[in-house]
Amino acid sequence: MALEQIIGRYVTIEVQGRKNRIYFEEAGSGQPVLCFHTAGADSRQWRHILNDPELTKAYRFIAPDMPWHGKSLPPEGFHEEEYLLTTEAYMETVLKLVEALTLENPIYAGCSMGGRIALQLALKTPDPFKGFIAIEASDFQPAWYDIDWFHRPDAHGGEMGAALVSANIAPQSPESERWNTQWMFMQSGPGVFRGDLSFYTQDDSLIGQLGRIDTGARPVHLMVGTYDMTCTPEDAKRTADAIPGASLVVMDGIGHFPMSENPDVFRPYFVDALAKMG
Amino acid sequence: MQTASLCARFEEMGTALTQKPHLKRLGQLFSETVLIEVDDQQIYLYFHRGLLERVEEGPSSKIPWRFALRVDGEALDAFWHPMPAPRFHDIFGFVKTGRGRIDGDILALVKNLRFFKEFMALGRQKEAA
Repeated sequence: MALEQIIGRYVTIEVQGRKNRIYFEEAGSGQPVLCFHTAGADSRQWRHILNDPELTKAYRFIAPDMPWHGKSLPPEGFHEEEYLLTTEAYMETVLKLVEALTLENPIYAGCSMGGRIALQLALKTPDPFKGFIAIEASDFQPAWYDIDWFHRPDAHGGEMGAALVSANIAPQSPESERWNTQWMFMQSGPGVFRGDLSFYTQDDSLIGQLGRIDTGARPVHLMVGTYDMTCTPEDAKRTADAIPGASLVVMDGIGHFPMSENPDVFRPYFVDALAKMG
Repeated sequence: MQTASLCARFEEMGTALTQKPHLKRLGQLFSETVLIEVDDQQIYLYFHRGLLERVEEGPSSKIPWRFALRVDGEALDAFWHPMPAPRFHDIFGFVKTGRGRIDGDILALVKNLRFFKEFMALGRQKEAA
């Protein structure tokens, strides 16, 4: 059947005192799982999981577009401001969505910057969640490139961003999905990828704090692809080792966008991750 | 790889480029000289409107270039492997791992990043054939 099971809706939440109209897609019923996208992209990265007929029998997957991303508009007045995401704004967005959608005991799954936030939530506000799946996530990643290249008037940030992030996609991933993954970066709003990377490459507040995460009450599972050059397997291992009781899986032949770039390889690892959440 | 062999490889990549209409379209505003430095060998690539017009052996202090890609030969060979290993699968892997660097007018590269990366990968395609 050509008609997919994914449903898209909007909800307005207040983040840092400003109204944000959030777009989210969902599918399935049962245990809620919030699925957060990487920097510079949107909820479409999760489309294969949301379209999975077996997984959606037991799980209700909800994949929002962060403010400024995908079909979520920036807040009013955005045209005169520099977009710079912060850890605090990201965490508040997640918590307000849990509240607005009245999600009970959701699993949080996030990739890249979404994975970083998984660790922040596990550390600082674990209560609303059942567990955390931190994909391509680490305690801190300093920039190995100048993020200002992504937003300047004399270069197309989207095309440049896509051409750069292709460095994080495994060559084994199917060509069609490699390009679908890059397309989201090409479509990203001006300055959005840069604004995401700003917090991702500067906020090192998790360093030295990971040992305080209580995985006894809420599991933390990390996943990392061997072709991820931004969060390498070594970065993820360093992070997992610092969290007592956390688990880690290294996924062969896949990169920084596993659920989007190679859904068939990612699926069994994600099924296992969901099972670890109890 | 000897300089003459490297030049021949880039000339073959230039020929392969003519068979890629999308790269000619993407590179239509790319008319620059690029320095490729592999170990102690220097090679100049003369691009004009998305085509590789000429490959010239260096070194030369008289040839101005727009940007340079410097990499060790072993890393470049690994990059050109038909199925490259992690961190050798992209030219930025050279930078991330300290096996190479990119310098010069980075804006010229940024504006044509997809074109240049796909051009460099044509060496891989040849080896896979």
